[in-house]
Amino acid sequence: MFDGEPACLIEMQSISKAFGHSKVLRNVTLSLRSGSVHALMGENGAGKSTLMKILAGVHRSDNGRILKDGKLLQLSSPREALAAGISTVFQEHSLLPNLTIAENMFLGREPLKRGGGLDRRRMRAETAAALAELGLKLEPDQLVSTLTIAERQFVEIAHGIKADASVLILDEPTAALNAADVEVLNRSIRQLRAEGRAIVYISHRMDEIFDICDEVTVLKDGQYVGTRAIKDVTPNGLIAMMVGRELSDLFPARTASIGKPVLELAGFCATPKARPFDLTLHQGEILGLAGLEGQGQQRIMRALIGRYLPAGGTLRLYGQTLKFPGAANGIRAMARLGLGFVPEDRKDEGLMLGLSVAANLVIALHAEQPAFARAKGMKAVVQRMTDALRIKTASPTTPVASLSGGNQQKVLLGRYLARDVKILMIEEPTRGVDIGAKSEIYALLRDFAKAGGAVLVTSRETVELIGLCDRLAVIHGDTVVAELPAASATEHSILAAALTAEGVAA
Amino acid sequence: MIALLRSGFSARRSRHGLWGGPLVIVVALLVILTLGTDQFATRENLFNLVAQAMPLFIAAIGQMFVILVGGLDLSIGSVISFSTAILSLDGPAVVLIPAVFLLAGLVGLINGLVITRLNVHPIIATLAMQYILLGITRFLRPVSGGEIPQVVIAAVQGSVFGVPLPLFWGLIAIGLAAKILYGSRFGLHLFGIGGGVAAGMEDAARTYGIRVDRNIVLAYVTCSLFAALAGAFLAGRIVSGDPNVGLLFELDAITAVAIGGTQLSGGVGSLHGTVLGAIVMVLLANGMNMANVSPFVQTAIKGGLLLAIVGLQSRKKMGL
Repeated sequence: MFDGEPACLIEMQSISKAFGHSKVLRNVTLSLRSGSVHALMGENGAGKSTLMKILAGVHRSDNGRILKDGKLLQLSSPREALAAGISTVFQEHSLLPNLTIAENMFLGREPLKRGGGLDRRRMRAETAAALAELGLKLEPDQLVSTLTIAERQFVEIAHGIKADASVLILDEPTAALNAADVEVLNRSIRQLRAEGRAIVYISHRMDEIFDICDEVTVLKDGQYVGTRAIKDVTPNGLIAMMVGRELSDLFPARTASIGKPVLELAGFCATPKARPFDLTLHQGEILGLAGLEGQGQQRIMRALIGRYLPAGGTLRLYGQTLKFPGAANGIRAMARLGLGFVPEDRKDEGLMLGLSVAANLVIALHAEQPAFARAKGMKAVVQRMTDALRIKTASPTTPVASLSGGNQQKVLLGRYLARDVKILMIEEPTRGVDIGAKSEIYALLRDFAKAGGAVLVTSRETVELIGLCDRLAVIHGDTVVAELPAASATEHSILAAALTAEGVAA
Repeated sequence: MIALLRSGFSARRSRHGLWGGPLVIVVALLVILTLGTDQFATRENLFNLVAQAMPLFIAAIGQMFVILVGGLDLSIGSVISFSTAILSLDGPAVVLIPAVFLLAGLVGLINGLVITRLNVHPIIATLAMQYILLGITRFLRPVSGGEIPQVVIAAVQGSVFGVPLPLFWGLIAIGLAAKILYGSRFGLHLFGIGGGVAAGMEDAARTYGIRVDRNIVLAYVTCSLFAALAGAFLAGRIVSGDPNVGLLFELDAITAVAIGGTQLSGGVGSLHGTVLGAIVMVLLANGMNMANVSPFVQTAIKGGLLLAIVGLQSRKKMGL
């Protein structure tokens, strides 16, 4: 494919896979080279994960073949894939919190002493070596529960890097990492590449792909679109390959009419040390809390619904003044005032994964009823919301857990839209959501604002805030350091505003 | 040593549960009882206590194995009574003693299979087993009686160099349990399975290649075997088969395990905690007996203690 480059280590040729009647993969090809990081891109549901699960021996392909060094591989179980030198770090977190790092690393394949007991010394030594290889300063005897999310992710990766694995599959390794951690991970990946391993890297974050990857293969609707060298493509070109349109097309046009103030913060102090600030959200407006990660965007938003106790300040909602801290701004009270809150972690904090789509949609409506009121099915509401948000689900009774990330997010949004909230506070509106669904969610939020609603939004993706919002409040050190119109903001101007802010306890 | 002691009070960095509380109570009770009474710190009383405590000790250790995987075994009281009944049957000791353990192992196997294969909740599965075994035991031995093999009696009531044998059996049981729990693959897998259950990631242990169902079954078998050992011990003490001797024993065992810091949601707990929990219960009973506290009040105090201690051991606080 590319002249003068090393031959392929792994070749997956005309792979097809169907689950029941739905064809997930049709005739997909993937070639991995030693010493190369290969990005696999595509919208959710494009078949990336299925393709990787076939390579990892979790699923078997219906036809097609997999070659390693030109020799045919039979992969019918994860164990066989491991034996063939193919190791995977899956998206789902699977470390057990009550075991130590060493125990997690060796669980299921513990070394034994001659007498049959656990060889803990060897587990410890080999774990320490594996951690050191990733540059991690962690003790093998540390319980996983004491690790941060990022550290867990690294341990998961250390677990995946078996010494003899020549192929490493990383399925969204950075979903839970911040920028600094991503850099540490990238360093490890570069080293693995230098050691001559073939790495598959799945991510939705465009900047990472361009930072770390050498080649990219794009899938769309289970079909192979193409493979390119990263240096030959642009982000917009990649997106065009994935969805057939450019990045700027993702975002709906901004509204012309910004109405009267609906939510006004005055003298708001997120923490005792932070500088007080004022902030106003208007009808018809989408306001983004921008800035470097972890500078208090989440704290400020959650203080509004009573999850955090701010140090001081007042909140005016439609002219009604509420004092901080106070019982009047708990989440139920805020809900009564027409304010909906969509948390960042839809799996833990938002959705009830085991319950149906319908139940998740109408639960907020039920919450307004007395506890022993008859729980009506509210079929009409469910139908209206499913149609309006274009939620792709087999039926309203399908458990929400079986939906794709984008559709789950729509269900969560639908819960508040069903209740006719006037103000929507939403964290990370498109976390773990593919580009097609992102665009739909942006359109939904814009329509909500157009219809007279107001949206307050946080996001780790600055590009998203710039494209989606009308106005940006740059947060740094738990306070607002600048307000910018989103139309003219750039990632650079936001960063500059955050870092040049004076008189802020950073 | 100090680090170890500290981990008993703030269990953020260990999965052994909060066993510092029961340790403090044990020390306090020992001090109070030694200073407050003349009878407590005597050789006879202490040896007598050990012998008295041993069945609870052993049963609690067994119970801990199933609690660690997030299970519960309510059938052990019946297993204990059943074991004394089997030992009191007519027959040679070489048949009766193995029979007790074989049958108990079978009970554990059935418990485990019903729970893992038929997906019956552990409380229901073992409650049913409790009734079934109680019925069989009362059929075998409606009232207490029969003769217990001499070798069993000697093993429980005998002594070597003035040290009563129960002390040895207790140490052996603890050593065996420690070996299984901390030194074996099985023990680690129990923690892994329990941790997965408690963290809502049941499939995690399975994806690691652990045979989850088989290990859970083995935990119930282990629990039943320890119960049978407790039963044999009791038989040697009361020198007869008794259909009611194990009554409510399962609850005392669970109480000891819980006081010792083992979390009933699974994956957090320790052998030393369980041992301490059992000692707390025994010392408390002994002390209150010497202080002539009414048995009814004693029961109420036991309940209050359980609530107080477990209330201070919230899993969330431990970060697990």
